[in-house]
Amino acid sequence: MDKKNVAQKWLTQAQASPQAWHFCWALLRPDKVPEIQFFGASTLHAKISSHWSDLPPGQLDSLRSQLITQIGQFASGPKLVLTRLCVALASLVLHVLAETWPTAVPDLLCAFQTGESVTEADGQARCLALLELLAVLPEELQSSRIPASRRSQLRSALAVDWSSVCSLLQQLLQRPDAPCPVRERVLRCVSSWLTLDIALKDSEGLLESCLALLKESELFDTAVETIVSIISQPDCQRFADSLLKVVPQVLGLQEQLKKAVQDGDMETSHGICRIAVALGETHCRTLLEQVDHWQGFQALVSMIMSCTGTPGHYPVDETSSSLTLTFWYTLQDDITSLDAERQTLYLQIYRPVYFQLVDVLLQKACFPRDEDYAAWSADDKEQFKTYRVDISDTLMYVYELLGPELLRSLYDKLGTLLTDTTHPSSWQDIEALLFGFQSIAETVDVSYSDVIPGLIGLIPLITANNVQLAETIMFTIGSLAEWLADHSLMLASVLPVVLHGLSNADLSVACVSALKRICRECRHDLHLHANDIMAVSQAVLVKDIHKSPQCMWIMQALGFLLSALPSDEILGKLLSLVTPHIQQLEKLANEPPSSANKLPIVHILGLLSDLFSTFDLNKQSERSEVMRPVQTQPHHNNPVVVVLQQAFPLIQTILSKWLNEPEVVEAVCAVFEKSLKTLLHDFAPLVTQLCELIGQMFSAYPQASALDLTRQLVHIFGCEKDLFSPIIALLELITNITMSIFQLGSRDHPDVVESFMQLHTQALRRKSDLYLSDRLDIKAVFYCGILSFKFPEAPTLKATCLLFTELISHCEEIPAVREVLQEDGKLLLQTLLEAIGGQSPRSLAEHFAEVLFSASCNCPSMLSVWLREALLPPGFPSSHLTTEYKEHFCQQILREQVSKRRMKDIVKEFALLSRGLQGTEYAANY
Amino acid sequence: MAYQLYRNTTLGNSLQESLDELIQTQQITPQLALQVLLQFDKAINTALANRVRNRVNFRGSLNTYRFCDNVWTFVLNDVEFREVTDLVKVDKVKIVACDGKNTGSNAAD
Repeated sequence: MDKKNVAQKWLTQAQASPQAWHFCWALLRPDKVPEIQFFGASTLHAKISSHWSDLPPGQLDSLRSQLITQIGQFASGPKLVLTRLCVALASLVLHVLAETWPTAVPDLLCAFQTGESVTEADGQARCLALLELLAVLPEELQSSRIPASRRSQLRSALAVDWSSVCSLLQQLLQRPDAPCPVRERVLRCVSSWLTLDIALKDSEGLLESCLALLKESELFDTAVETIVSIISQPDCQRFADSLLKVVPQVLGLQEQLKKAVQDGDMETSHGICRIAVALGETHCRTLLEQVDHWQGFQALVSMIMSCTGTPGHYPVDETSSSLTLTFWYTLQDDITSLDAERQTLYLQIYRPVYFQLVDVLLQKACFPRDEDYAAWSADDKEQFKTYRVDISDTLMYVYELLGPELLRSLYDKLGTLLTDTTHPSSWQDIEALLFGFQSIAETVDVSYSDVIPGLIGLIPLITANNVQLAETIMFTIGSLAEWLADHSLMLASVLPVVLHGLSNADLSVACVSALKRICRECRHDLHLHANDIMAVSQAVLVKDIHKSPQCMWIMQALGFLLSALPSDEILGKLLSLVTPHIQQLEKLANEPPSSANKLPIVHILGLLSDLFSTFDLNKQSERSEVMRPVQTQPHHNNPVVVVLQQAFPLIQTILSKWLNEPEVVEAVCAVFEKSLKTLLHDFAPLVTQLCELIGQMFSAYPQASALDLTRQLVHIFGCEKDLFSPIIALLELITNITMSIFQLGSRDHPDVVESFMQLHTQALRRKSDLYLSDRLDIKAVFYCGILSFKFPEAPTLKATCLLFTELISHCEEIPAVREVLQEDGKLLLQTLLEAIGGQSPRSLAEHFAEVLFSASCNCPSMLSVWLREALLPPGFPSSHLTTEYKEHFCQQILREQVSKRRMKDIVKEFALLSRGLQGTEYAANY
Repeated sequence: MAYQLYRNTTLGNSLQESLDELIQTQQITPQLALQVLLQFDKAINTALANRVRNRVNFRGSLNTYRFCDNVWTFVLNDVEFREVTDLVKVDKVKIVACDGKNTGSNAAD
C-alpha cells in the first residue's frame, strides 16, 4: 500500500512538472500498453485544464494539430484513451474559443468529416471519434472550474454552433445505413448539447428523428432519455408553436403504448409514459393557454390518465402509474391559477376528468388478492405502501378542486358496496374507499361535508375479517377525531369499534392511535364513556397485549381523558388506574436489582410519566392556544400531586437501589419533569421533598437528568420567594459537586457539563441576584465554562456559549462577574478564539459569535483590550492569519454592536481563514 | 446540482467537520472535500425524495412569506404539528422549502 502511495505521489508530481508537456506524447505511442497511453492522455488533459498558462507562446497550433492527429490514431480504440484525448481537446477548445479560435467547432467538424487532418482512421471510426468529441465538449464546460460569468459566455458561444452540429446529427440519424453504435452516440451527443439551453424550435427535426427511433428496441432506452431531455427544457415554453407540433407526435405513441401494456412489456410502457408525462408536466401551463388547441391537450391528458390506470398492481405488474402523480398536481394548479373565464371553461372539461382520476387512483390503491400479496417480497410491499401514501397525497390535493362532492361520491360507492347483497364485495374494494376517505379527512376540514354521519353509520356494517381492512377502519376513525369533537353524539357509534379492536395485538398501532386521537380531541365529551375506556385500557395494559410505545400512548390517552372529567371523579379514577402499576412497582422494588427487573421498572415509570404528561388541569378547553407556562391559581390537592406524594417513598426506595443505573434515574426524573411541565405551580407541595431527593441522587451519582430537572424547578419557581430556599440550597449543592467533577476530570461527562451550563444559564436568566451572595461561586462557574470550551461535543459547546452570552450580559449588576471578567477576560477570549480558529466545528461559529456580540454590547472597552492582547502572539490561533487581518478583525468585532448576523459573518470568515479555507469553493456560502 | 440546504443538518455538519479535519491534516484537498460534499447533496436529496413518506400536518397563522430564487420561506406563529399520535405546539416556526421536482437535475447552476 505504501509503495502504491509513493508511486501515486510521484506520478502526480510528474504530471504537474513542466516536462509533462513533452513526455505525454511519448507515452501515447502505439507500442505502449493502454494503461500508459491513458496516463499520457490524462496528463495532457491535466496540463491543458490546470496548467494552461505554462504553455509556451506559439505552441498552440502544434498542440492542437498533434491532439487532432492523436485522436485520429486512437479513433478505433482503446475507448478510454480516445475519450481522455477528446476531453483534453475539449478543454483546449474552451480555453481559446472566445478569443482566438471562434470557429473551433466548424473547423473540427470539417477536419473530421473531410479526414484531411485525421488521416489515420476510416470513415466510421472518424465519425465515432467526432461524436465523442462533440459529446464531451459541453460536459467539459459543466465540469471544469470556470467562473460563472465566463461559463455563461462560453455556453452562448458554443450554442451558436448548434445549428451545424444539429444538422450533422440529424443527417446521421436519418441515414438508413447508419450503424447502431453511431446512432447511440448521436443520441448521447444530443443530450449533452441540450445542457447549453438549446431552444426547442432549433431541435424540432431532431426530436422527430428521435421519436422515430422508439421503434428500434436496442435504441429505445437511449432515445427515451434524449426525448425527455429535449422536451423537459423549461425554455421550450417560449416556443408554443413548436410545442403544439410535439403534442400529436407524442399522441402518436399511443398505439405502441397500448401494445406494450397488452404484452406486459414494462420497459416500453414505462418509457412512453415518461415522455407523455414530461410533456404534460413541463408545459402544462403553456399548452392550457393555447385555448384553441384544447382538444389536443385533452387527448394528452387522456393518454396520461391511461398511464395512471395501467392495469395490474404497482410495483409488481407495472411501474408507470407512479410517474404520473405529479402531473395531476401540476394540471390542477395551472387550471386554478388561470383567469376566471378560462378557469370556468377548463373546470367544465376537467372536473369529470378528476372524478375519473379518483376512481382510477382508488383502483390502483387496492390491495392484491391475499394469496398474491403473500407472495410479494418485503421490498415490493414497502414500495406499494409508499405508492399508497403518494396516492393519498394526490387525493387530498384533488379534494381542493372537487370539494365535498368527492366525499359524497366515495360515500355513495361505499354504501352500494356494503348494502348490495346481490354482488358480494371484496374487502380490497371496501378498504380502498375507506382509504380514500381517510386520506382526505386526515388533513382537510371535513365539517362542510354532510356524509360523515352516514359514513360512521356504515362502519359497523363492515365485516373486518382482514387486518389491512381493520387497520384502515381504525385510521379512518382516528382521522375523524376532530370532527367527532364537534359531533359528540356520534362517539357512541365509533368508540365500541375502537375499544373492541384494542384487544387485538395485530391492530395495535392503528387502534391505539385512534383511541389517543379521540381522547385528545374529544376529552370534554367523553364523560359517559370514561368507565368503558378505562376498563378496556386497564385490561389490555395488565394483559401486556401491546408493545411498550403503544402502552405509553394508551397512558397519554387516559391522561387526556381523566383531566377532563368532573373534578370529584378524577382522584378516584386516577388512583384506580395507577394502583395496580404502583403495586407492581413496589413488588419489583423489593426484589434485588437485576437486569431482569430493570426494564419492567423503567416501563412502569414510563407509563406514569406519559400519563402525567397529558394530565393537565391547567389547560382548559382551548384547542388552538399555544401552550405556555401560564400563571394560574394553584389547584388545591391536585390529583397528580396526591399520587406523587403517595408514591414518593417508593420512588426513594427504587432510587436507593438503582442509583447507579442511568436509565432508572432518567425514568424517575422523567416522572417529575413531565408532571412539572403540566402541573406548573400546582407542583409546589412537592418542591421541598423533590429538592432533597435530587440532592441525594446527585451526591451519590451525578447525572445530567438531575441537573435538567433542577433547571425546570428554577424555571418555574424562580420568582417564588417561599419555595426558592430549598431550590437555592440544591443549586449550591449540585454546583459544588459538579465543581469537584471538573477538578477530577470532566472529560467523560460531556452530558453533565452540558446540563450544568444550561442550569446556570437558566439561573442567571430567572434569578441573577442569586449570584450576589458568596454561596454561589460564579467565578468557579466561569472557569468551568473555560474548560468546557475545549470539549469536542457540539451540544456542550453550544450550552457553554449560551452561558457566557448570558453571563457577560450581567457584568454591570453582578460584581463577581465583573471581577472575573476583569481578571480573566483575556483567558476567555483566547479560549474562544482557539475554538473558532480550528479547535471546534465550524458549524458552531454562530454560537461563538453570540458570545462576542454580548461582550461587544456589554463591555466593549474590556473586549478591545482582551482581543488585541489575545491576538498578539504571531501564529495565534492559526498560522494562516496575518497581523493586518487580525487588526482588521479586531476593528470589525469592536464596531459591531447592532447586527448579530454581521457578527456571525465576521466570525465565520475568521474561522475559514484560520483553516486556510477562505476562497475555496468547498467552503463557499450556500 | 442538487440542493445544498441539507448541509446544515446534523448529518451534513458532521460530514463537514470530518472533511475540515482531513483538510487541516492535509490528508485531502479542498477540491476533493467539495466533491464529497456535492455527492452528499445528491445522495441526501435523492434519499429524502424517494425513501421518506412520513407525513406531518400543521396549522398556524402565517406571519410572513416570501419566494426568492425558487425558495419559499414561511414564518408561522402559534403552530400545531400533528402527526398521527402526537401533537406539538410551537410559538414560532420558519419553513424553508424548495421545489422537490428539480432535485437531482441541472436546474441550479
